[in-house]
Amino acid sequence: MNLQTLRESSPLLAKLSNTELEFFESVSSVVGLKSGEILFEEGGAADTFYIVSEGRVGLEMTSPGKAPMVIQTLGPGDLVGLSWFFAPHRWNWRARAVGDTTVVAFDAAEVRRRCREDRDLALEVLGVVSAELAARLHRTRIQLLDLYKAP
Amino acid sequence: MTLPPAGVAARNVIEPMLPRPFRVSARRAETADTVTLEMEPDDGPGLAFTPGQFTMIYVFGIGEVPISISGSPQDPKTLVHTVRSVGAVTQAIVGLDVGDPIGVRGPYGSGWPVGRAEGRDVVLVAGGIGLAPLRPVLYAVLANRERFGAVSLVYGSRTPADLLFGDQLHIWRSRFDLEVEVTVDRSDEHWFGDVGMVTGLLPRISFDPANTISMLCGPEIMMKVVARELEMRGLAPDDIHVSLERNMKCAIAFCGHCQFGPDFLCRDGPVLPYSHVAQRLTVTGL
Repeated sequence: MNLQTLRESSPLLAKLSNTELEFFESVSSVVGLKSGEILFEEGGAADTFYIVSEGRVGLEMTSPGKAPMVIQTLGPGDLVGLSWFFAPHRWNWRARAVGDTTVVAFDAAEVRRRCREDRDLALEVLGVVSAELAARLHRTRIQLLDLYKAP
Repeated sequence: MTLPPAGVAARNVIEPMLPRPFRVSARRAETADTVTLEMEPDDGPGLAFTPGQFTMIYVFGIGEVPISISGSPQDPKTLVHTVRSVGAVTQAIVGLDVGDPIGVRGPYGSGWPVGRAEGRDVVLVAGGIGLAPLRPVLYAVLANRERFGAVSLVYGSRTPADLLFGDQLHIWRSRFDLEVEVTVDRSDEHWFGDVGMVTGLLPRISFDPANTISMLCGPEIMMKVVARELEMRGLAPDDIHVSLERNMKCAIAFCGHCQFGPDFLCRDGPVLPYSHVAQRLTVTGL
């Protein structure tokens, strides 16, 4: 897949220069997921991160004897997984395709290595990941207010 | 717009607090605590209204509350309200059955800028029961679909069981000329849709920020957050409209119960441009 097509909808790819985009393309692959297929498991090594190309991915928390609880769904352009950027690089959630989905997978170890060598790129990636974290925290806070509950 | 006959209009002027007698003609349970009632007048023609307006609904012997109209402006013969049971009067309304009498005053207030939206993209964002006051906009837009650009509805609900107008949502989603995104705060094992706040869905919908009218209805905090997000995406605050609620009592800008800064929401609202109220929406106590 040419990452240029995803650039418009992905805040991460939109920030990259053409050279940086070429690097990201060289460490990426397209992954097709059937509905319900698991992308990564809670507690697993965060050695890959993803951008949704088509479809949706649900982030879930699992608990023995209970149905998985979906806490957020991510759609086209969204970054799936943030833990790859922060030590100890372990997933906090399970990610599963909601309907047939296509994602672009990136080799997180390679991107981290490149970020250590290229501080400008590291700052760009850090800026995007931090903005995404802040946006998700903001939405989560609003959800905690339970606004739609009857007064 | 159909004008009421001279007798009804004259009575509204002379006795503005006197409700007209209506009767429930159909009842549909939407959720565990919300019903949609269709009502028809006992004393003459139906109420012509603009999407976004409300009426005062009087349950005889119990009390009166303002409720937004949720029916089609193309069918003024039938007055449609979607009501959630949150207090004594709304509980009584929700408990009404076909054939029961009810009093109605109105319609009152400002409407959504449907006319201004012609030739432009339309973004509707609803939260919870807020879909009900926006449904007449969808009816009006879909009745003249060719007059509008891209049209999208983003709807957030507490849980899948709290979604309003389930059958219609399915029909709307199947249309090729309408983009519908639905999300819930808390899912269950039967839900295969989105989970999260409505703002998370805004990047998915198509609109030209320079040529879009947006209409928001839901809890004020939700509207404020969505309006800020739309502003960040390039919409002018004048092109974002919100529907505000306060304790409306007389509905004729007389009692002052619904005062919101310099506005009486029963007369100057409930629909107002976000640019007009943005600062006030940050003032505690208003």
